[in-house]
Amino acid sequence: MLERNNHKYILVLIVIVTILAAIGVFYYSSGESEEGSSELLVRIVLIPKGLNDSNTFWSDVIEGAEMAASERNVELTVLAPSFETEVEVQNKMIEEAIEMRPDAIVLAPSDYVKTLPYARKVEETGIKLVILDSVMAEEAGCCVVATDNLKAGYRMGEYMKPYLNEDSVIGIMEHIKGVSTAVEREQGLLEALGTYGDQIVDVRYCDSSNDKSYEETKAMLTENPDINVIFCLNEDSASGAARAVHDMGLGGKVAMVGFDSSLEEIQFLESGVFNAIVVQRPLNMGYLGLSMAYQAARSQEVPRTVESGSVLITKETIYTTENQKLLFPFRENDKE
Amino acid sequence: MMITPRSFGGVFGKIGMARQNSSYAKSLQGKINISLLFIVATAVVSFMIISITQSRIAVRNTAIEYTSQLIDMMNESIDSYITSMESIARIVVENSDVRSYLFTETGDERLRAEYGERAAELFQTLTDTGSDICNIGIIGENGRYLINDTATKINPYAGYENTDWYQEALLGEEVITSSHVQNVVSDEFPWVVTLSREIPGRGDGEAAVLFVDLNFSSISRLCEKTNLGAKGYVFIMDDSGNLIYHPKQRLIYSGLLEEEFTPDMLQNGDVVFSGDGQKLYTVSKSEITGWTMVGVTYLDEMMSRTGRLRNLFYLMAVVLVGVALTMSVFLTDMVTKPLRKLRETMKVVEGGNFEVEIEEPDTGDEISDLFRSFRNMILKIRELIEQNTAEQREKRKSELNALQAQINPHFLYNTLDSIIWMAEGGNIRDVVLMTSSLAKLLRKSISNKNEMVTLEEEIEYTRSYLTIQKMRYVDKLEYEIDVEPVVLQMEIVKLIIQPIVENAIYHGIKYKEGKGLIRITGGFQDDRIVLRVSDNGVGMTKEALSHVFDERVTDTRKNGVGVLNVHRRIRLYYGGEYGLSFESEEGKGTCVSIHLPLPEMEREWIKRKTESGGE
Repeated sequence: MLERNNHKYILVLIVIVTILAAIGVFYYSSGESEEGSSELLVRIVLIPKGLNDSNTFWSDVIEGAEMAASERNVELTVLAPSFETEVEVQNKMIEEAIEMRPDAIVLAPSDYVKTLPYARKVEETGIKLVILDSVMAEEAGCCVVATDNLKAGYRMGEYMKPYLNEDSVIGIMEHIKGVSTAVEREQGLLEALGTYGDQIVDVRYCDSSNDKSYEETKAMLTENPDINVIFCLNEDSASGAARAVHDMGLGGKVAMVGFDSSLEEIQFLESGVFNAIVVQRPLNMGYLGLSMAYQAARSQEVPRTVESGSVLITKETIYTTENQKLLFPFRENDKE
Repeated sequence: MMITPRSFGGVFGKIGMARQNSSYAKSLQGKINISLLFIVATAVVSFMIISITQSRIAVRNTAIEYTSQLIDMMNESIDSYITSMESIARIVVENSDVRSYLFTETGDERLRAEYGERAAELFQTLTDTGSDICNIGIIGENGRYLINDTATKINPYAGYENTDWYQEALLGEEVITSSHVQNVVSDEFPWVVTLSREIPGRGDGEAAVLFVDLNFSSISRLCEKTNLGAKGYVFIMDDSGNLIYHPKQRLIYSGLLEEEFTPDMLQNGDVVFSGDGQKLYTVSKSEITGWTMVGVTYLDEMMSRTGRLRNLFYLMAVVLVGVALTMSVFLTDMVTKPLRKLRETMKVVEGGNFEVEIEEPDTGDEISDLFRSFRNMILKIRELIEQNTAEQREKRKSELNALQAQINPHFLYNTLDSIIWMAEGGNIRDVVLMTSSLAKLLRKSISNKNEMVTLEEEIEYTRSYLTIQKMRYVDKLEYEIDVEPVVLQMEIVKLIIQPIVENAIYHGIKYKEGKGLIRITGGFQDDRIVLRVSDNGVGMTKEALSHVFDERVTDTRKNGVGVLNVHRRIRLYYGGEYGLSFESEEGKGTCVSIHLPLPEMEREWIKRKTESGGE
């Protein structure tokens, strides 16, 4: 009798399981789409070169990355040194990021050589690495998302070329010696200038410091009073140089082409100190960098290089609908 | 996985293995349970499908309604910003200080500065009351301007003369711009929405423009705060399809993203689904600004709520089916258990046992009725059987009585005659012997009503008879009795030896010349008692031997009836395998064997004895 009862419970159990299975099958087929493919959480660490109040470039990169993260199931962590020159700090942060065991790291290497071993460390642990903004002495990472700096440099030269003549004396203010962005932009610029390249009389480096750029520009103009064209290859060098030119009362007399945008630069563009500025798309860079890292982390194929783009802006095109958004990143915090 | 009757049969077949001949699916319990299973499963599944579909529709409608309300509310708030800007503009335009400041030609700068101070005070008050007002400014064609306060400098590079809000306002229209960067104040580049209108001057060529800037953050904050799920968002478009606010406006401008929504989708009403059906656009258009507010909701997010609901339904279905089936199993068990019991009882009865106890279940339902009827039937059958047995017994008894051989009267006369002759001859001793033998014979024959006697008694009876016959047929008859003492105490049907001895005398010895010998032996043979009465008389012909049990041929006159009766009585009493058997050879004699069963106990005892003897 006991055995019979056991059979009964088994029967009930089997029946329940059968019905459940049937319902499950029924709804698996019809309900698959609406559940949404439950994407696994992807953890990504973003390490920009530096983050501080005077430089909006990296905050835009971070904002772009955040936008991309919000579209997917991504947990984004940002580790940023305060200044681009803090190579050691950034290297420590890379190690810290490795400790966190994320699925991918998006790294904007601060140094052409010194960052490389740390990038290799990331690769050795199997964490996917996406390189942002600048490349290093050797190829690293599965994908490079950067402005095509050759092209950006070329744009600067191309814009200025029609205004040049044999009397033009050219000075260049670069950010950091040996950094790939500086090297490539210079290369592109020289390519566009063609024979006018011979008229370059001075090339100086400001170590990505606004104030040093100011001083160096002053020195440059004092030493070479003939200089009437200055190209600046990044934001800090552009702002500092423009300030120096303005302060020396040479605004409008020395033709200037800047790089990247800051409020200061835009004001100098409005007031005519700058003839034009070439602006990168840091937001796109961050967005694309994170998108690539996400794809790589999910073992999808990613292209070797992705271009995030650049635009040349003159006084007339500052307030076009598109450029307004690019030059004046709307941030709630700025207003409060 | 499909549910097929076959797979159920397989499963239940195993469960029903306790049953011997038929599968579970064929049993009553199985039939009820399986039918119930199908009914419950069908009901639950259809209930679930309907509820889930309905709940999905309901959730979707709620989401649409919720989003619509939200968007409408947002629209109203933005409109209220614009309305407050309009009322500020009205106050400023109608203010005499403002006009005086802009258009007075006195040349008295001190007075104009005074107008300016007062106008700035008004601006300050209005900025304080109106929420999120960023700038209030007036710019005359004559180059006079006042923005917020007297200290604020106009951006010399602003180029406001070329802006839409300036030019169109001078044409006499009220302008509400899209979101843009206001660069008119030196060193400030806020994102604003500008409302501008003309301040008409007193004479020709005299005009000024008033502009009120609303902090764009007040609108963007409103949009950002609006919660349309993790992925959902709100954006605003102006008349011509330009984005005023979009959370990813910059990405869209840089070409990385595209907003799928286009204004012509509005032809289908205020609630539109995206091409792939994954997004829901809820639209509200403001009459004041002409802006279109679009709420984007992701359907999969909405439906995740129904997912939870569905899980609840699953749980309910499981519980429901479980409860229903458990109940069904116990219910059917309640019905079929007494039925099974009844069947088992019937099987016992089928096997011939009518003495089985029937316990009636105390349920008072149809099944207990069935039990009662069955019990009554069994009782009736038992009664009939008993009645039948009693009748049979009576019948056999009377038959046995009828068959019991009576003492032949001729034998009695002849014996009495012999006694008389012996008495006349003075042979007293023989008279006494014969008379006492006759007395024994008669006493045994008449007085003893018992059907059974011991073999010893039977032998004594036969001996009395033989004593008498031997005295009557002097020199003609001899007898020997040699029965194993072991069998003497066994009970047998009475009067079975004497008629055979009588037969041997009258049919065997009587016609023989010279002296005849009758020999009675007795003992065990296999598992039966065998008594033998043999004579050395005339014997029987083969034909006679073959007809010895044939009633019609038996010469009744010659008392063959006695032998036949003995045979029939033994068979009646003990069964067909017992009775008499004849061996005879013409001229040599006849041997009649009487086969009787051993009583159980005797049989056991003898068995043991023979076994130990065999060692």
